[in-house]
Amino acid sequence: MKSTRFSVSSRLVGDIAVIYPSGYLNNLAGKSLIEECGLHTANGIKKLVLNLRDTGFINSIGISMLLNIIEDLKKVDGRLCFTEMSRTHTDTFDMLGLTPHIVVFTTEDEALQFLKETPGPEPKDRDEN
Amino acid sequence: MPFNSIPSKEFLDREDELNSLKRHIELRRDSMAGNVLLEGGRGVGKSELLKQLYRTTFWEDKGPAPFYYSFRTASLKGSFFVRDYFSRFICQYLAFLKREPFGAGSSNIPINRLLPQFAGLGAAWMIDIIDEFEEHLAGGDFYGTMLAAISAPVAAARISGRQVLVMLDDFNLSTRIYEANPGDTLGLTTLFEESMKDNLCPHIITGSPAGALGTIFSDASLCRQAERMRLGPLPQNMAQQLFGACLNKLEIACSDEAAGRIVGLLGGNPLYIRNLAKAAWKMHKKDMTEKDVLDCYAYEVCSGETAFYWSSVLNGMIADIRDHRDNVKLLMQCTDKGACRDFRRIAGLAGISEAKVVRLMQELSRNGLTDCGDAVFRDFVRCLFMKEIEGKKEQEIPGIISSGYSTADRTSCFEMSIPMKENAELVAAGAVEQICRNIDLDDEILNAVQIALIECCINAMEHSGSPDGKLLLKFLTSPEALVITIESSGRYFSLDELPEIPAEENMRSQRKRGWGFRLIRKTMDDVKVERAGDRTRVILTKKIARKDGASR
Repeated sequence: MKSTRFSVSSRLVGDIAVIYPSGYLNNLAGKSLIEECGLHTANGIKKLVLNLRDTGFINSIGISMLLNIIEDLKKVDGRLCFTEMSRTHTDTFDMLGLTPHIVVFTTEDEALQFLKETPGPEPKDRDEN
Repeated sequence: MPFNSIPSKEFLDREDELNSLKRHIELRRDSMAGNVLLEGGRGVGKSELLKQLYRTTFWEDKGPAPFYYSFRTASLKGSFFVRDYFSRFICQYLAFLKREPFGAGSSNIPINRLLPQFAGLGAAWMIDIIDEFEEHLAGGDFYGTMLAAISAPVAAARISGRQVLVMLDDFNLSTRIYEANPGDTLGLTTLFEESMKDNLCPHIITGSPAGALGTIFSDASLCRQAERMRLGPLPQNMAQQLFGACLNKLEIACSDEAAGRIVGLLGGNPLYIRNLAKAAWKMHKKDMTEKDVLDCYAYEVCSGETAFYWSSVLNGMIADIRDHRDNVKLLMQCTDKGACRDFRRIAGLAGISEAKVVRLMQELSRNGLTDCGDAVFRDFVRCLFMKEIEGKKEQEIPGIISSGYSTADRTSCFEMSIPMKENAELVAAGAVEQICRNIDLDDEILNAVQIALIECCINAMEHSGSPDGKLLLKFLTSPEALVITIESSGRYFSLDELPEIPAEENMRSQRKRGWGFRLIRKTMDDVKVERAGDRTRVILTKKIARKDGASR
């Protein structure tokens, strides 16, 4: 599991922002991530893909931050998809009983395709893989 | 001795193989199957399987007449072999006709004395078979006598119309039958081939090591048409059950917990398991602890029946007894460092000429001893090496062997201190990663342990209010568990104060926090919080399970 210093980058694919958090996702990193997402939502982007391929450990505070991002997006009728999660990430969400509350795709392309095809508000308590 | 087998109720986990062999014999009668090549590691139970088959076949009214012959290194001189083979067949056939199992173990009764009995049982034709054999023997016709002996079962089957089931144990030794001096007559194994082709005479043949029977026949069709049956080791639970049953018979008590680790070491080998139980009896054990089991194991590999067994195998394969010490050195190289093909290097290390290393290694390899992954054999070789090469006293050696497996010696403790600073928990996670790798834990367990450790550290950093700003970490590894203690000064807390809030409820809350101890509880097998003076200790335990399910 990677544990490098946290950084975050993003790119726009049409009206979808793909966010790449890299390193250990803790409280400080979580704040950076929230800021990055906030920049996009401030510009009217309501569809986000969180690509976790370079994300190391996600601690419990990092989890809280991710849940806050989901909550914030719901308020503006936006939606968030997770992609390229490691086994440890999925196990962590499973253990906390959070898997039914997030939308997960194996690849970024699948997540982008989903968001392109299904506009509208994110439904509550989804369970899509 | 075919009836010298263990009671059938103690013959565990081989019912499928036994039934398969019986079915095979029936199919062979209808030309729908070939012979069976029964392969498997040494001591895995091939001979026992044959003996169990012999016993069940012996009592069946319409089944074949069973004949069991075990090739032995001491009986490979042709003149001895033919008499031994022939007389054992005659005695076993007679015992079968009379349904007297004790007669099946006889071989040294003068055959002439048996002739009237055959006549009385309506098998006077056997007298002709015996006469033919005696004529060749009296005429000094070596090949004729060999052929008469080897073909006696098929001759009996053809005349009587009743199948004769021929079970040849350790048949690979047949390649070493000689006329006057070892190696003087090659190819005598081919004399068996004609009999093996007859449907009235199904053959079941065993051999070690694995693959030893594959190249033994000159007629390749025999090998192609034969069915290969591989006898594997007993699974751990059956091995444990067998050990328990053997001890029970000897009125010795031992819990599965005490026996598990050492029985696991025996690799599901029934010979080793029975020998270990017998060692417990010889050592007057009554209520065995794990240390007692370990002591018995060390005794077994140093001087018990298992050591005797492996000594016999080694002595049986050595053509020149003067090579024994060099073989021990080479085996030590192979078992200690793995099979190595750099003969020049081995020669240098062992102090033996390279040419001799090549010759001896070929012989050891042919006998499947150079890449034998058997822990018991490895310990046996270590004992031999200590005794014969290093000159250690015999009484010291069992202690050295057992110390290698003692739980106390397999415990390690690591301690570290980390500052309560950003990302310091990752240093702890890095340390535990290496500790887990040292004890060969898989990634899934490692990740679980890292998650729990990170959560514990950040919990202490966030909530303890520690005046010294330090966390003391202790990692204790043992074969059974990894125990991590995270200690800090400052505020105490109890697990009772941390109720588990349902995920949905927590998600609706403003802060969405409180996931840490939920993760810790889910990932660890046990979580305790203790107060020690002004310090708080969180103790995390992760049990270590071996892949076969036993405790490490």
